[in-house]
Amino acid sequence: MGVTCVSQMPVAEGKSVQQTVEILTRKLELLGAEKQGTFCVDCETYHTAASTMGNQGQAGKLMYVMHNSEYPLSCFALFENGPCLIADANFDILMVKLKGFFQNAKANKIESRGTRYQYCDFLVKVGTVTMGPSARGISVEVEYCPCVVANDCWNLLMEFMQSFMGNHTPGIPSVFGNKHDSIYSPADSMVQYMELFNKIRKQQQVPVAGMR
Amino acid sequence: MSGVSAVRISIESACEKQVQEVGLDGSETYLQPLSMSQNLARLAQRIDFSQGSGSEEDEPGPGGRDWTSPGDAEDEEGLVKFQPSLWPWDSVRNSLRSALTETCVLYDVLGILKDKKFMTLDPVVQDPPPPKQNPQFLQLISKKKSLAGAAQILLKGAERLSKSVAENQENKRQRDFNSELLRLRQHWKLRKVGDKILGDLSYRSAGSLFPHHGTFEVIKNTDIDLDKKIPEDYCPLDVQIPSDLEGSAYIKVSIQKQAPDIGDLGTVNLFKRPLPKSKPGAPHWQTKLEAAQNVLLCKEIFAQLSREAVQIKSQIPHIVVKNQIISQPFPGLQLSISLCHSSNDKKSQKSASDRQSPEDHLYVLEHNLHQLIREFHKQTLSSTVMPHPASAPFGHKRMKLAGPQAFDKNDINSLQSNEGLLEKIIKQAKHIFLRRRTAQTIDSLASCIEDPQIQAHWSNINDVYESSVKVLITSQGYEQICKSIQLQLNIGVEQIRVVHRDGRVITLSHQEQELQDFLLSQMSQHQVHAVQQLAKVMGWHVLSFSNHVGLGPVESIGNASAITVASPNGDYAISVRNGPESGSKVLVELPRSQCKDLPKSDVLQDGKWNHLRGPFKEVQWNKMEGRNFVYKMELLMAALTPCY
Repeated sequence: MGVTCVSQMPVAEGKSVQQTVEILTRKLELLGAEKQGTFCVDCETYHTAASTMGNQGQAGKLMYVMHNSEYPLSCFALFENGPCLIADANFDILMVKLKGFFQNAKANKIESRGTRYQYCDFLVKVGTVTMGPSARGISVEVEYCPCVVANDCWNLLMEFMQSFMGNHTPGIPSVFGNKHDSIYSPADSMVQYMELFNKIRKQQQVPVAGMR
Repeated sequence: MSGVSAVRISIESACEKQVQEVGLDGSETYLQPLSMSQNLARLAQRIDFSQGSGSEEDEPGPGGRDWTSPGDAEDEEGLVKFQPSLWPWDSVRNSLRSALTETCVLYDVLGILKDKKFMTLDPVVQDPPPPKQNPQFLQLISKKKSLAGAAQILLKGAERLSKSVAENQENKRQRDFNSELLRLRQHWKLRKVGDKILGDLSYRSAGSLFPHHGTFEVIKNTDIDLDKKIPEDYCPLDVQIPSDLEGSAYIKVSIQKQAPDIGDLGTVNLFKRPLPKSKPGAPHWQTKLEAAQNVLLCKEIFAQLSREAVQIKSQIPHIVVKNQIISQPFPGLQLSISLCHSSNDKKSQKSASDRQSPEDHLYVLEHNLHQLIREFHKQTLSSTVMPHPASAPFGHKRMKLAGPQAFDKNDINSLQSNEGLLEKIIKQAKHIFLRRRTAQTIDSLASCIEDPQIQAHWSNINDVYESSVKVLITSQGYEQICKSIQLQLNIGVEQIRVVHRDGRVITLSHQEQELQDFLLSQMSQHQVHAVQQLAKVMGWHVLSFSNHVGLGPVESIGNASAITVASPNGDYAISVRNGPESGSKVLVELPRSQCKDLPKSDVLQDGKWNHLRGPFKEVQWNKMEGRNFVYKMELLMAALTPCY
């Protein structure tokens, strides 16, 4: 487990999502990265049920339940800006039992699927973010495996990302900022994915040209 | 009740004066003490003269009767009794009187008897015995009868005794069986099925998955002949083990260089090991059961290995024939693992055993196999350990943490390492073989090359897959100045990694030739390094130094190395070229002035040109004195250094 940076790759002009992904992966393959199967990160949204809300004026908090194929036995439950719970994979079954408190917003299910590449100590995952039937964007996750302190390897990560993302290289993720020198954990990656998904959801009004 | 005999306690009045009365004010009025005569009278009154010595009582004469009757009359009278006591000596007088009377009577009787005229004393005549008709016969009958009676009594007693002895022994044996059973129970699992007691030999409770039932039966061995002498090792409890677990077994692991004949496959010779001597004090069933359990474990190991051998795909397939598994860890080398099981009754195996030399055993691997199977047991046991949280997944204990601690794929893979027994043991065998061969290579080099010397320091503590040795190359007598070559050889499973003193890492394969060539080239470099060190000590100047010379004849192993040093005043120079194959070549450069055979040049007329260096001349190195290269070099340098 290392330090991970999750970012969004904008769709190249005049290209579809699929084509942009292909361009990226070709670049990676040219670099010498090895293809290692696929990956999948999914996120389901839960509303706190109306019956449990005492105060009518208070907006219901959203809870996200996420899975990551990199952590196949785990299930992540997050609140926005809130705590992150890591549990066994059968946490989903528990959520079914808690129907009275948390209601699943099925339409809001969003996931990112793609190919996993390994390049020496780096793991790169380029995925297509889909919500329902439509592809909405591209996620790029880069992990530097040997290090667990985010600030120690951010520059290295950035330099590596520049090599294949060019000027779309993201800035330092917000989770790195409040970590200081402490150890990076898988929950931080999931927070980054959650933020990415939220960002992409908000973009949904803006139609992306040539998406399909 | 209590065994303590009654204790006599004599009580005497403490104060001499008896208290008559105690006044209300506490004052005591004492009785006047008796005078001497009064006291005597009082004591005499207490004596009962009628109850005197027995002789008087035994023969109550007619006179005596007379004397006692008044006493009786007195008792009956009661009130009169007190009358004579008014006179204190009355009873004494009476007694004396009666005594006198009796003495007189006795005297008279004796006097009459003495004369024998009127009275004689005769013994009392008893009735004569009835007349005997056949005294002898009757005596015999009575004797016989009484003897028979006595005999009968004796017989009865003897019978009772023998019965009780037998009962005792029976009881004891029963008790022995029970106590033995109790001891058995402490070491082995037992259960009762019907009227049988069955025990469990298998390692199932320790996590084994071997399907053999491994049960033994406990037999009560009490009905032995009482007449015969009980053998010393008699035990009332015996165990019956399944016939396929009898005898002794072991796993044999060996590495052979040559490929086997196909005909020899699967006929691994057995040599019988003597059954382990039972520990003193341990019952014989213990050794029997332990042996059987060992057989079971060996069978399990072999079954596991052969299953893996069939399943695992390797470049050279593993061969499983009968009781032997053959694998080829390195080309031209075969590892054979065989199950040797000898039951006691087969004599035919004995002959084969003599030819077999036990030297090619790899005891370490055999031991490790046992260890591995036990680890394997433990693994299966710990995976289903109870109690188990209802929500947690089954599996390894650490697997339960995998979810909540978000283990990634690599972590989970490392938890699920399912490298089989065979793969592990082959890896270990490879390592052992590689280590052995490295040691051989180093030793053979050290023994056949005297100059320079090789020292190998093996580390005592190794991993099963890795060990290390430190190799020093030195020259005898110059150990302190020639320390340039220190190699650390890390011997792994497939290859040897050599770490130089300066941190360079070279990876060698398992081929022994590679290591040998490497060491040879290092040795040749050592000589040149030694010259460099020596030059420093001797005050010579190093003009050039090269580990890998690009000139001259090409060496088949490595490269030649060379050094040129100049004497302190610069007159002479020594050039050394040393190759692993070509050996050393030493040249000395002389000043021009000392060369006589140099043709006189017309150009260089001036004397100053004589200080120019002249040509190199080769030193006949094998004719130099000195025990080794560095010593010879030291002598050469010393000879070329002028003394002022």
